[in-house]
Amino acid sequence: MPPSASTNLGYTPPDGGWGWAVVFGSFISIGFSYAFPKSLTIYFKEIQEYFSISYSQIAWVSSIMLATMYAGGPVSSILVNRYGSRPVVIAGGLMVGVAMVTASFGTSILHLYLCVGVIGGFGLAFNLQPALTIIGKYFLVKRPMANGIAMAGSPVFLSTLAPVNQFLFDQFGWRGSVFILGGVLFNCCVAGSLMRPIKIPVSKTTEDNISPQTAGQDESKPSGCSSKLNQFIDISLFKHRGFLIYLVGNVLMFFGFFAPVVFLAPYAKHQGVDEYSAAFLLSIFALVDMFARPGTGLVANTKWIRPKIQYFFSFAVTYNGLCHLMCPLLPGYIGLVVYAVLFGLAFGMVCALLFEVLMDLVGAQRFSSAVGLATIIECGPVLLGPPISGLLVDIFMDYKYMYFACGMMMLAGGVFLFIMNYYNYRWLKKEEKQRNAEELQIFSTKELGAIDEEIKLSIEEKLKD
Amino acid sequence: MAAVRRGCPCGPASPQSSSTTLQADMAKYMAKTVLLLLFCQGIHADTTTSPESDPVVTTRKAAPKGQGQVIIEELAILTPQYIELLCNLTDIPNNPPYMTGYWTKDGKEIENSEETINRNNAQYILKKTFSIQARDLGNYSCVFRENDARVTFVLQVPVMKDKRDKPVVSYIGDSVVLVCKLKHMPNTWNWYKANNTEKELINVTADPLKYKILLNGNETKLTVLNLTEAQSGKYICSAEFDIKASESQVELKVLSYTEPLKPFVAIVAEVLLLVTLICLWEKCSKPKHSSSTADDVYSEQTSKLTHDESNGVENNTTRQRKLEH
Repeated sequence: MPPSASTNLGYTPPDGGWGWAVVFGSFISIGFSYAFPKSLTIYFKEIQEYFSISYSQIAWVSSIMLATMYAGGPVSSILVNRYGSRPVVIAGGLMVGVAMVTASFGTSILHLYLCVGVIGGFGLAFNLQPALTIIGKYFLVKRPMANGIAMAGSPVFLSTLAPVNQFLFDQFGWRGSVFILGGVLFNCCVAGSLMRPIKIPVSKTTEDNISPQTAGQDESKPSGCSSKLNQFIDISLFKHRGFLIYLVGNVLMFFGFFAPVVFLAPYAKHQGVDEYSAAFLLSIFALVDMFARPGTGLVANTKWIRPKIQYFFSFAVTYNGLCHLMCPLLPGYIGLVVYAVLFGLAFGMVCALLFEVLMDLVGAQRFSSAVGLATIIECGPVLLGPPISGLLVDIFMDYKYMYFACGMMMLAGGVFLFIMNYYNYRWLKKEEKQRNAEELQIFSTKELGAIDEEIKLSIEEKLKD
Repeated sequence: MAAVRRGCPCGPASPQSSSTTLQADMAKYMAKTVLLLLFCQGIHADTTTSPESDPVVTTRKAAPKGQGQVIIEELAILTPQYIELLCNLTDIPNNPPYMTGYWTKDGKEIENSEETINRNNAQYILKKTFSIQARDLGNYSCVFRENDARVTFVLQVPVMKDKRDKPVVSYIGDSVVLVCKLKHMPNTWNWYKANNTEKELINVTADPLKYKILLNGNETKLTVLNLTEAQSGKYICSAEFDIKASESQVELKVLSYTEPLKPFVAIVAEVLLLVTLICLWEKCSKPKHSSSTADDVYSEQTSKLTHDESNGVENNTTRQRKLEH
């Protein structure tokens, strides 16, 4: 069984106890980070009328927020590396809360771009990364389960925030709602306070205890300015084979990941389904997603899947792709419901495993830097995906080409991950064997050396006699 | 049900009805709908316009079902006009030689509207021309006395469908934009403020600092500036057509800034409370740990990359050196 590359923590994670409170905190942070930008769209129509702007101008608010959240990843990683998860999450919560409160007094759309988009986006970035990182510090054996539960925050919060936002809007208009939402976002600080830094015993023989570095890592000496940068964020990750595989596979996948969600309701309406039934499809999707995530975590934790979790992830991505390829072929409303259920399952599976496999590849120590670098690179496809899909729909006046394109991209990503991970597991196995052989040699030379010494000493003693 | 199915085996062209191109269309659909008719006394609604010499007459046709099935046709009337309503009854068992039909307006039978209809190739056609002025708008129904089959034509000015049933909320000192939209373009739009039962026309030239009105064909926007609490209430937008005006209303609520402040303060208090509780719990559980394990040296783990990196490099180089021996 190839080793999971996370054993160089230097301590045994508790895998329980306060860890579950930390999972709850991460649940809240992740929920706000993913669900909040989407739930804001309820106010867009009113704000559009108020400022007399076009729909694309208001849609920029969401895009800027999402872009900043992904691009702020490395900044977040640097801060987490230096200060730990808790202060960063609390700071993030304060930032996004203050941003919303300021936005409620905005007098132009530019104010909204700055407050909600930039500052809010950074605040959410400071929530997302640390929440993911700290799970790796508290869990090892039950980590896939913990990740699955934490990631379930996103659909749960989305289903809750949508009606809450609507209610606030009816009572207080858009300004009052944004003001109150600022207060609600301060709850991220509560989540942050739950993320207690973990206490580890520092023993004197740490050098011997630290197991060999993550296999696949290049042992190049850091030099000059890259070594300075390395103090803040682990740039050597770009030489990590597993990380590169993950990056390429994910970039391919993200091009086709979010667009089908965005276009589910419009596609249904295009097929002749009425508005409420189309909205109901999204609810079905969210409900299945909600349960698929912890379910996937549970499955991934079993002894059959855990060692080969990379294959499980590749399977999830491929399954997603197949879902989209089949979608245009399913007839009628029943077909759409079936698609929504299958898609919800697929989406949940991928999301639950997304960060777990990264932790599995690079180890919990380097995860913080890895996730920062990964999100800033994924920023591109995440932002470009839906508009490109929209372009496809506009050119062909038909949704099925968009679904084919998304399906193909995800299939390509999935197959790439499958093949590359097969080789990666083999190379890891080989390197593990090599390392074991070396250690055996070292140990045996040590022993021989010790035996040599003993023989010398005994000969000397005998000569003295 | 009352699904509108195309095609109607209307009888041969009567002098007042359709042009030849429409007959061709109908013949096309006839083939398709014959099958449908076998299953039910189908309703087919065809709207056909027949250009006529003065006055212009619009013909609306529909076919009623038997008792129990209610067929409603909504027609938007913009100008005073003559309109001919035609009801086409088919699929009567026994095929009697004639039937009697009459018209009702808003539920009451119209005097002298009853007539005898002769069978015409298994169809019975009841039609009447109405002169529609503002006071004549309403619900017109054709009724066949024998089997109570009827169709109701709702004649009205265009109605604004996407109404906001919930009030628009804004704040003192802020401004708000109220919107009204229609499918048909009216001659002009007017805005009124409702004071109990009275309507007061909003005049932009009289109050340029308070109101702004934008007229944009199918839609209109009223901007109310510098809101005060007194400006809460119902605002009515009125689309003026030749025949009558179509109205829709929107309610405006003006709140003071203290309104959202209350829930905000409550939530912030809850956050502070929870954070304090969690910190206290942590402080309380700390002494338990440190007292039981006094020997071990505990340190907060802040991952220092340089430490780990150098460790790893040292390990490898020392191993390599040993191998070389």
